[in-house]
Formats: sequence, C-alpha cells, structure tokens
Amino acid sequence: MTQQIAILSGKGGAGKTSITASIIKMMESVVAVDADVNASNMPILLPHTQQSTTPYFGMDIAQVKHDSCTGCGACLNACQFDAISQNEAGRILIDSDCEGCAACAFACPENAISMVERKGGDWYVSTVDNGYLIHADLIPGEDNSGKLITKIRSEASALAKQQDIAYIVIDGPPGTSCQAISSVTGVNLVLAVVEESLSGLSDYRRLAELVQKFSIPHYVLINKAGFSVEVEKSIIQAAAEFDGKIIGRIPFDREIPTALQELQSLAEMDNYRGVIAELLEQMTSSLNH
Amino acid sequence: MIISVVSGKGGAGKTTLAASIAQIFEAEFYDLDVDAPNAEYYLQPHFSSKVPITQPVPVFSAERCDGCGICTKECRFHALYKILNTVYLTEPLCHGCGLCKMVCPQQAISYQDSSVGDIRSGHSRRTNNTVHVGDLVIGSTRGTYLISEMVKKIDPEKLSVIDGPPGNSCAAVAAIKPADLVVLVVEPTPFGFHDMQQTEQIVQQMGKKYLIIANKAMGDAEVDKFFRDKEKTAALTITLEDRYHKANLQGEILSQQFCEIYAGLRQVVSQELINR
Repeated sequence: MTQQIAILSGKGGAGKTSITASIIKMMESVVAVDADVNASNMPILLPHTQQSTTPYFGMDIAQVKHDSCTGCGACLNACQFDAISQNEAGRILIDSDCEGCAACAFACPENAISMVERKGGDWYVSTVDNGYLIHADLIPGEDNSGKLITKIRSEASALAKQQDIAYIVIDGPPGTSCQAISSVTGVNLVLAVVEESLSGLSDYRRLAELVQKFSIPHYVLINKAGFSVEVEKSIIQAAAEFDGKIIGRIPFDREIPTALQELQSLAEMDNYRGVIAELLEQMTSSLNH
Repeated sequence: MIISVVSGKGGAGKTTLAASIAQIFEAEFYDLDVDAPNAEYYLQPHFSSKVPITQPVPVFSAERCDGCGICTKECRFHALYKILNTVYLTEPLCHGCGLCKMVCPQQAISYQDSSVGDIRSGHSRRTNNTVHVGDLVIGSTRGTYLISEMVKKIDPEKLSVIDGPPGNSCAAVAAIKPADLVVLVVEPTPFGFHDMQQTEQIVQQMGKKYLIIANKAMGDAEVDKFFRDKEKTAALTITLEDRYHKANLQGEILSQQFCEIYAGLRQVVSQELINR
C-alpha cells in the first residue's frame, strides 16, 4: 500500500520546495509529485531525466462557426463570464476569459458554437536517482484547475503501484484554494512548513483548517526561525489548537539560500542533513505504526 | 492609476513591497491574494466594513425535478450529481454559469446567491488610506471570480496598489489586468527567476508597462548573473538582510523603517508614474 505525504505551507516562499526536495533526496525510493503546476520549481532542484511529455487539456473553449452565425447575440446573454463580445461588423468574438461552460453553445439557435479542446499545458514523467518525478507546466495565464493536479497525482499512484514504490511525496501549491485541496485529498500525512512570521502563522491557520476538514494528520516544521520568540510561540499554540505536532525547527540561516543558489538542498548540507533525516524518520514511522 | 505587484513565486516579497509602495504614496490598497491574504499584518487597518461577495448557484425545486439527470450530464464542472432521483450540488465546484437552468426540461432550477468570500475594508493609519482585503472561502475554486469582483470596485482615477496572488494562473492574470504599471518582484534564486519569467511573459503579452525589483538578493553579483542575458534588468535591488527580515516578520513596513528602501522604491516607482 503506497503512503502519500503532502508538503504544504499556505504561505508562498515558506520553504516547501527546498524542504520537499531535501526529503526526497534522502529517501530510498520515491515517486515525487510537483503539484505547484503554475510555478513548478522542483525540477530545478532535483536532477532528473525527462522520459515522457503528455499534453494537458483543461476546460474546453467555445468556438464560433462564423458561416452559421447570424449575429443574433443570444450567446452574449448566456455568457456569465463576459467572455463574448460582438464587434462593429457584428462578428462574435470569444476571449480567453471563457470558462468552458458551454452555455453559449446551448443558447445558440443556429448551433454555430462548438466546444473545442484547449491546451492548458504539459505534464512529464522523469526519472530521478531514487525513483520518479512527475511534474507539469501550466501555460502561463491558463486556468490553474485542480484537474491537472488530480491527473498527475493519479499517474503517480499508478506508477508507485506498478514499480512497487512505498511513498509518494507531493510538493503542494501555496494558498488554501481548490489547488491545495486537489493536492491533499486522500493523502496519509501533511507536513506544514510554517515560516516564522505573522503572515506564515496566518496562512498556517487557514491551511490547518483545511487539513482538519479532511481529517488528515499533520506535522509542523517551523522554518526561518530564530527572530521572534513571540511569533514562534504563537505558531506552537496554533499547532496545538489544530492537533499539529511540531516535528522540527530550521533557523533562518543565510547558508541555506546560498546553497540553493547552487541548487544544493538541505540534504547536501552537513548542518542540516541530520534534521531532514530525523524528519523523514518521524514521518515514515508514524505512517507505519 | 493602478499598480499591481506580482511575482510568480510565492514569498518573493509581493506583500512586503506592495505595502511599502502604498505607504510611500499613500495609496488605496487591495489585497487580492484572496486565499492567503496577509497585507493586513503590515497595514493594520481598522476594519469598518465586511461585504459578502456572492455568486449565483442553482437550487432545485423538489416538486418540479423528476430526476431526469440531464443537468448532471451537461454540467462541465462536474458540480452536479444524482443519487436515486435527487440532484445534489457540490457548491465549491459550481461556476454559476447557468447552463443547468437552461437545459432543465422541467424548469426545476432557479439561481440563488451564495457566498464565495468577503471583502473587508478599513482605514490604515500607516498608508493614510483605505485597505480592502479579499477573504476567499477556504477550499473554494472561485478565487479568480472574487478577484474580478474586487477589481470592479477600484476607482482608476485614484492611486491604488494591488497585492496579487502567487503563481501564473488566471488568478494572476485577473490581478494584472487592471494595472497601469506592474511591479514584478523577483527573488534572485533559480526558482524565483524561473517563476518571474513566466509572469513577465504574461505581462508582456498583455502589453503592460512593468518594472522589476530584485528582493532578498544575496549580492549584486547574483542578480547580475540572472539578468545577464535579459533585455530588462532589475530597476532596484533589495538585499537579504537580517534587519529587514526581522522587521518584516513582525509586520513592520520596510519603507517606514529603512530610509534606503523608502528612497529606492520612491524613486523607481515615481519615475514610472511620471513617464506614463
């Protein structure tokens, strides 16, 4: 049975990706998933070899057959997203705000609107030293639907099963919207990376609420710590409130961003390798007891 | 005049710099990072109003619905499902498009407003202006909708600063769309640079005027290395310093605490405002 760990933070820049990559590098075998599909950074930090590329199609987009269109404007009234306009010559234009609902196609008395595929990006399967990395690139500006995240996660599950790999580790997106949900549904454990700041604390609270809703146990790693005892105390209190267990603490240390510039993770740093190993040990033993 | 602050990568310093710009120019402020809004920790507004933002969602008349299931098949967002002869709505997935109502042969569907979040507004003494914060219902898919509703309220005649969402999806586009000037914040790391370039692509496609600010820089050499092959370089570099970090995590506005940041930001932003 594959176990899934998702690493999230609520706040962006809390250290999700660097922590995730560090953990992954220290695992025996793993299927890694970069679920931050519209700012995908794990491939930068994790040496990998791309094996396959698959196009991703998001929601369809409306397309007008201008030969059949009489310019009656029924579609303009049907569209709730202001995605349709009519120019001076009476020509109907669909813009990129189209959410693909197909209301216009239904409303058109001439059947002049059809729904066509719209490419939203690509997803990739790559090999890494100790397993696989599944990642994706959303075309900038496209709808960041949870659909693509769900897709790459199901690919990861299939791959883990097929290759008999025990763990899937997911690098989640920032925020607490549907993309975060798509990244946590069905996971066994969440690791919340919480930046020691008021913003980090506030976003952690939103994340913890979401994780609690899904009844997923979670651990808390305090990151960039050491400046404010008060903020740190508040994080510890918030974690207790949401049943999060504090699993570790990484100080604010310029050596870490310096190493990241050279694409070195914490797993390659003598001072931090032990912390990551301990983190990993605690997480896997809690999953297997 | 609307200034949007975006970055691609989260944690690059959008909120930090947006708050500073708003403080320097005493601008109205819109926190459009609706699923992780943080600007209020810096701006400390005294909230005086909370306006719910709604979108219409379908409700089903039990008397009229005969459970034919056409609506559940037609809904492209998979927001409707049927158990026995009753249709149910998964509200967070609903886009309020109206298709189900159109296709229902029994006219059993009507639309009713439902909350996707709130806009809290109040006066900040730090900016001497109003701050608006969007709070998306946790787990909602309607972030872009909430952003667009907030954008509609912006008066383009006034100077406003938008704190945008991270990422490069349609939510970022919605926050960039109204801008007269885009401030791209880049963390000069391989990650930050990668994500910023994707945002830059969006900004260029939309034909927006923009400037780049490098934040949390380890040193000028690193920044130079990233921008070596680029047409546009950073208009301003803010280095990673313990004192900035400490002030920031405690909710201080950097431009209020550090005169070099005040002066630097003021100069690069006002230059763009004048050049308009």
